Amino acid sequence: MTNHWIDIRNADVVLMMGANPAENHPVSFKYVLEAKDRGATLISVDPRFTRTSAKADIYAPLRSGTDIPFLGGMIRYILENNLYFDEYVRHYTNASFLVSDDFQMPGELDGLFSGYNAEKRNYDKASWSFQRNEDGTPKTDPSLQDPRCVFQLMKKHFSRYTPEVVSDITGTPQDQLLKVYEAYAATGKRDKVATILYAMGWTQHTVGTQNIRAMAMIQLLLGNVGMAGGGVNALRGESNVQGSTDYGLLFHILPGYLPTPNAGQPDLAAYIAAHTPKTNDPQSANWWGNRGKYITSLLRATYDQSLTAEEGFGYDLMPKLDLGQNGSWLMLFDRMHKGGIKGFFAWGQNPACSGSNAGKVREALAKLDWMVTANLFDNETASFWKGPGVDPSKIDTEVFFLPAAVSFEKEGSVTNSGRWAQWRYEAAKPLGNSRPDLEMINDLQFRVRRLYQAEGGAFPEPILKLSWNYGFKMPDGSIPHIDVHAVAKEINGYFLEDKEIAGKLYKKGDPVPGFALLQADGSTSSGNWLYCNSYADKGNLMARRGKNDPSGMGLYPEWAWCWPVNRRIIYNRAAVDMNGKPWDAKRPVVWWTGNGWAGDVPDGPWKPMSDAEGKKPFIMNADGVANLFAPGLNEGPFPEHYEALECPLDKNPLHSERINPTIRLFSAGAVGEDVDAYYSCDQRYPYVATTYRVTEHWQTGVMTRNTPWLLELQPSNFVELSVELGQEKGIKSGDWCVVSSGRGQVEAVAVVTRRFRPFKVQGMTIHQVGLPYHYGWHTPKAGDSANLLTPTVGDANTMIPETKAFMVNIEKKRG
Amino acid sequence: MNNSMSRYVERFNVVERVLHWTLVVAFFILVFTGLGLYARTFFGYFDFFGGPQQGILFHKWAGVVFFTSSLLLALSHLKELFTFDQDDVLWLKKLGGYLSKEHEDIPQGKFNCGQKLFGIFSLVGTLVMGITGIIIWDPAAFGRGLTQFSLMLHALFFTLFMMGVVVHIYLTTLGNPGTISSMLYGHVTKTWAKAHAVKWYRKVQKG
Amino acid sequence: MARKAFLIDMSRCIACRSCQVACKQWNKLEPEATVNRGSYENPPQLTPQLYNQIQFIEQGQGDELRWLFMNQRCMHCGDAGCIKVCPSAGALYHTPEGMVAFNQDKCIECHYCVNGCPFDVPRYDRKKKVTKCHACVDRIANGLVPACVKACPTQTLRFGDRDALIAEAKAAGKTVYGESELKGLGAVYILEDAPQTYNLPAKPAIPASIFLWKDVIKPLGILGFWGAMGAALLHYVTFGPKKLDEYGRRHDDDLNPPEKGA
Repeated sequence: MTNHWIDIRNADVVLMMGANPAENHPVSFKYVLEAKDRGATLISVDPRFTRTSAKADIYAPLRSGTDIPFLGGMIRYILENNLYFDEYVRHYTNASFLVSDDFQMPGELDGLFSGYNAEKRNYDKASWSFQRNEDGTPKTDPSLQDPRCVFQLMKKHFSRYTPEVVSDITGTPQDQLLKVYEAYAATGKRDKVATILYAMGWTQHTVGTQNIRAMAMIQLLLGNVGMAGGGVNALRGESNVQGSTDYGLLFHILPGYLPTPNAGQPDLAAYIAAHTPKTNDPQSANWWGNRGKYITSLLRATYDQSLTAEEGFGYDLMPKLDLGQNGSWLMLFDRMHKGGIKGFFAWGQNPACSGSNAGKVREALAKLDWMVTANLFDNETASFWKGPGVDPSKIDTEVFFLPAAVSFEKEGSVTNSGRWAQWRYEAAKPLGNSRPDLEMINDLQFRVRRLYQAEGGAFPEPILKLSWNYGFKMPDGSIPHIDVHAVAKEINGYFLEDKEIAGKLYKKGDPVPGFALLQADGSTSSGNWLYCNSYADKGNLMARRGKNDPSGMGLYPEWAWCWPVNRRIIYNRAAVDMNGKPWDAKRPVVWWTGNGWAGDVPDGPWKPMSDAEGKKPFIMNADGVANLFAPGLNEGPFPEHYEALECPLDKNPLHSERINPTIRLFSAGAVGEDVDAYYSCDQRYPYVATTYRVTEHWQTGVMTRNTPWLLELQPSNFVELSVELGQEKGIKSGDWCVVSSGRGQVEAVAVVTRRFRPFKVQGMTIHQVGLPYHYGWHTPKAGDSANLLTPTVGDANTMIPETKAFMVNIEKKRG
Repeated sequence: MNNSMSRYVERFNVVERVLHWTLVVAFFILVFTGLGLYARTFFGYFDFFGGPQQGILFHKWAGVVFFTSSLLLALSHLKELFTFDQDDVLWLKKLGGYLSKEHEDIPQGKFNCGQKLFGIFSLVGTLVMGITGIIIWDPAAFGRGLTQFSLMLHALFFTLFMMGVVVHIYLTTLGNPGTISSMLYGHVTKTWAKAHAVKWYRKVQKG
Repeated sequence: MARKAFLIDMSRCIACRSCQVACKQWNKLEPEATVNRGSYENPPQLTPQLYNQIQFIEQGQGDELRWLFMNQRCMHCGDAGCIKVCPSAGALYHTPEGMVAFNQDKCIECHYCVNGCPFDVPRYDRKKKVTKCHACVDRIANGLVPACVKACPTQTLRFGDRDALIAEAKAAGKTVYGESELKGLGAVYILEDAPQTYNLPAKPAIPASIFLWKDVIKPLGILGFWGAMGAALLHYVTFGPKKLDEYGRRHDDDLNPPEKGA
């Protein structure tokens, strides 16, 4: 989230699309309804009329996988009707930048941008660049009239997304479409603001990243980023999933969103050079220019501090990706399926149900030598060897189960969607022999270390030189009980030697008060630069429970702690005009007092932009402004509509490229036994399907299916379908059905409802069905995972699987 | 011709008497267990039956006994109960002669008009109490509306029964001396028979 | 003590059912084995183990489609049918806060409350004793709000001073259901449509049969009984008994009275 949960109440319009907050983030609805109480318009866009839709002022249905046309149409509506926030767009975005003359767009190239390589399924992005002055700064046309400026190109690109075209793709009735556009675009005024709440409904598509890009563009055009009640807000699906990404859970990032080193960066200098953007624009803060300080401090926190600068502070010990290597979920399990992985820790997860194409995942688990599962309850992964259709005598995988303590049985921090790190305490002792994850990892580390000490091994240094000073040490160096505060303090970081900065002396061993003080010379450590300041000179700020709200805007600066440096709304320098005056006087976030900033912690201390010493607001971009034209993504600098891998149309209505041209294809498609087969526009699988969650269960249901009070509310797998499809297939509410895709089938109880309605698309009637993915065979009579149906395909940038749009058949269960 | 010199005429046989006293006992158990359910004022009566739960149990089974015995008694007199003639009209007109100190001659059969009406009421009442009793036996077994209506009817007929029984007891004891012997010993004096049921008396005398 | 009440604003309900679960947790109610019958609604109705339940009401279609939610529970009537019909004083009772609670020790298992309730709320548990929402008597007596209210994320459920809550709702321009019916409900609703849409009676009243019994038949019956007793006594002292000896004297030899006596 750029903003935070409470801030939703400040919005004039709340768009909930690709998310179903009433069901999946019920607590957020406290603030959504507060916004409504203050007069906000609530909009729900979803293939299915959900509990969120039930509370919305406007509901618009759309066919799964067509968010980009829907949003592209909105961009066109905003531009054609001059509803954008002109001053904001002109100064705070790259709208005025001139793009290379070589750049061509899908309107000209039949669905492709310039530079496509069909064989490699990727783009040479050379032409996706700006015309530059000699000093490297981009050429601009502040009048936005130049046909090569971003603004004009964008206008041209989206001019194709007329309401007629959009409606014919999305299946949204035109009047509903325009109602949404009108309500949302009305916030392009300086004193109007709209927020977008999205979740997996947007990300889990082959065009997931571009879905969010399209919305980010809308928010920029309307001047809603940085504002109270605005921003682009991802509703994270787990209490600490924000924390897990902050700490580098994913293969391609280290803690603090530092890219994982690869084989092309043999030493620290090469790494820093590759990841430190440069600019000659004096008004650009270019915050990633500090990359060297952050990676160095991370290395100092990770490895033995005896390592010197010459040794790259341990950079050599860091694992590196091969060039072009992708270690994402789908790739990992593909490799496991091919027998390329020996051992696997399934820690707090249930891939046999959560993984897209779960049948393949289950097959893959059987190819492991060993698997360790750490979980609260036995589950489909831990017991995959005795699952349906599995002969235990044929499974060689040795499975270990580590009983884990639940979150209430351990102390530590969790980071919510609004980036608040909140400290929690142990409420009860862990049950039986279950242990907190941190204790298990501590134990594991020492056991692995002892093995390396005893046996040497191929490359023992990364383990032996790992710094591990998290509590009282026994004579043999081991730590019987890990001190979570020691971990949190190391994340914040220390001065490793006496250091004088701006006239102030910091002593060796002092905590670093903020990331602006982190150093590239090895004199500071920080386990995660974003969290520097969370546990420093003023103690554990994450444990704060202050209820003061001096701004009255719901910022609550003394409640817990929020990265970065307790800034509650990021990009907040975009909430003011060039002179530092809030765009919206009623809802000020920060403002320039003449000699400093007041309000929220500002996005940097510099003067407002109108001052020669001032800085532009989007400090994480080298150009200092927000990207309407974003050359970094794989499928193009502007979002373009591509159908889902499995879709009901044999042709993209806009052009000849049916699917995202840059996604990785695991199968040639419809090829018999192929475990990754997909079946698009295939009579055997005629209905669009999507998966989702319900309030009553959580994720694959390992916790909730084992909570009988919750199982009572939603006892079994179900499939929702329209009254029309029910009639066509002779299915009534309460009937058990079989839902099948090219990869598997599941049984589910039919919920025949008017909340699903057939879509009119390209002159056809298209039916959609939906299933929750909370169930698994381990719970009696509950049905198996809906992920047995979902495909092996991911977003072109993130590789997140496309579980929100695929094709199935549904039949009443016989017998 | 049964011109016996006996002073007495047989009125109720043993079976009738046993049935009657069975239903009387059942009736009073029903009354004292039912009153606690009828109104909170009488809740204390449950104490005589070992508490309300026990009392309710007594009530249910006493109900079965009452229903059976009362029904059998009524059925065995069905024909007599439903036979009316001009004399009954006269009886009704004169209200059985009860609003007079003198004995009025209104020729009646074995049962006078009032007794027949009471008998019919008892039959109807027994059926109503029995049927509603079954419906409210398990209050969850039937629909709410039916159960509620049954509870109301049950209460209504209970009050009617109570009033009827007061009159019945009065008229068979204090009001008409000599009557009770028919239920106690089975016979009445010939004088009683002539006075109260002369048509029946003649019929019996003729044999 | 000023009367307390729930204010239940169905326009805020997102049917998350925290209320159902929080209630079961606080009151230690057993989970039930259910089946999906083609609806989110589960268990299908109030049970001895379910004191409050969300109903899912689908209405209309297409652009007119609405999905309404209803929190079904004991209404804590001011004039409570269950209390009225209960033979055992104190088995069902009004708490000092005005909520309708129960005491299973005093329940005599007659089930009358089940039928006396205008809203079909009371249930009998496995011990065959009455059970239903009691507004968490143990919590409210100690100044806490009921568990369902505590768990509700959207302030659909509120609990507090009845007059103040109603005044607040009215000041916000809302129509409330249950303000004066049955001497005022202890669960006052803000609805988005007619009560019938939410399966609520438009004019809730104690069932007519129960009213007839308790308010008409009962007093009249007692009157009737004593009236009959009085009438008998009066008859005895005014007209007196039909003495047979007197009759016998008058008709001494007449064993065959006139054949065609009038």
